[in-house]
Amino acid sequence: MNQHEVEKVLQKAAEVKVFCEYGQRTIPVLDEIVGFLNEISPAIEDLKAVLEVAMVNIPKASGQLVRVTEATEQASTQILNTLDKMVATLDQVITSVSSGMVASDLGVATNKMAGIVKTLVEKSGWDADIVELAEAWAAHLRSMKMSGPTSNLERLLKDLQDDCTEIMMALQVQDITQQHIGSVMGTIQAVAEELQKLTTGFFIVPAVQPLPINLPLPNDPENVGEIERKKMVESLLSKARAGQL
Amino acid sequence: MASLKILIVDDSITIRRIITNALKTIGFPETIEATNGKEALEKLTSGKVDFIITDWNMPEMNGLDLIKEVRANPVYASLPILMITVHGSEHDVVEALQAKVNSYIMKPFTPQELKEKIEGILKTVQVSTE
Repeated sequence: MNQHEVEKVLQKAAEVKVFCEYGQRTIPVLDEIVGFLNEISPAIEDLKAVLEVAMVNIPKASGQLVRVTEATEQASTQILNTLDKMVATLDQVITSVSSGMVASDLGVATNKMAGIVKTLVEKSGWDADIVELAEAWAAHLRSMKMSGPTSNLERLLKDLQDDCTEIMMALQVQDITQQHIGSVMGTIQAVAEELQKLTTGFFIVPAVQPLPINLPLPNDPENVGEIERKKMVESLLSKARAGQL
Repeated sequence: MASLKILIVDDSITIRRIITNALKTIGFPETIEATNGKEALEKLTSGKVDFIITDWNMPEMNGLDLIKEVRANPVYASLPILMITVHGSEHDVVEALQAKVNSYIMKPFTPQELKEKIEGILKTVQVSTE
């Protein structure tokens, strides 16, 4: 073995020494990593179980929300149908009342009755019972004139019609609710998609089912209260009108 | 004013019926309906329309895109448009105004609010055309 060969062996020995030193340093780190993995393994299993449940439950929850919106829409349609019928009926009754049909029918019957009572009184030769009947009839006529039923009835019917309109307008809540639910569903869907990205390569979990309907998503409708938002809209409209927007 | 023909654009049948009934109550009985912006544009070409009331969120073509399309068409560019929507952030309103909507109502609205908005728009349109 010559000098050159000895130097080569020494160089290789030095390399082996470095490798062993490196190994001595890295082995504890690797041991720690293995230990850590052993420790978190149950947590990963738990997470996997949670994700499996989430991936099944998220589409289920979305489906339930869709059914809620469908049911409220159906109910709204039924209420609107009934209100339409009520308003139409009230229209007919109001027309009848205001055109005086009811009053004139009553007037004809009253006049006829008055004529019969008068004839009875005359024919009876002023019989006391018949005279009493005539007096009772006269009192009845006076009370009828005082009550003024037609105008009262007309006012009440119009009030009822206004109530129907108010109920109809209140049904806007169905559309507002549907849009808010749509917004929640969009958020749920986005979270589910992110969860799926995180889990890709780690676990096999059921794929997120796309939501069955694409509900519109309002932009931060819950930012402020309804009244405040309306004020803000009006203020912006005023600015726009003044050319300040 | 009572002979005004109003095009109601909303994908919700409930809201279309509510607006139709509210318009009848306040003296605008002549209405036609469309379920989205695309259908609204077809309705515009197929008959006379004096006024548009539109929602924002709709499938196929939303209310904002409808406004932009209408304003870009010289035949309908001056048509009065009122937007009725749940969109209520400042950014939304500004975006709608920049698209040249005439006015804006937040849901829920009352027939009285609707009447005031329509009459306000019609006054402005009359003044600007005089």
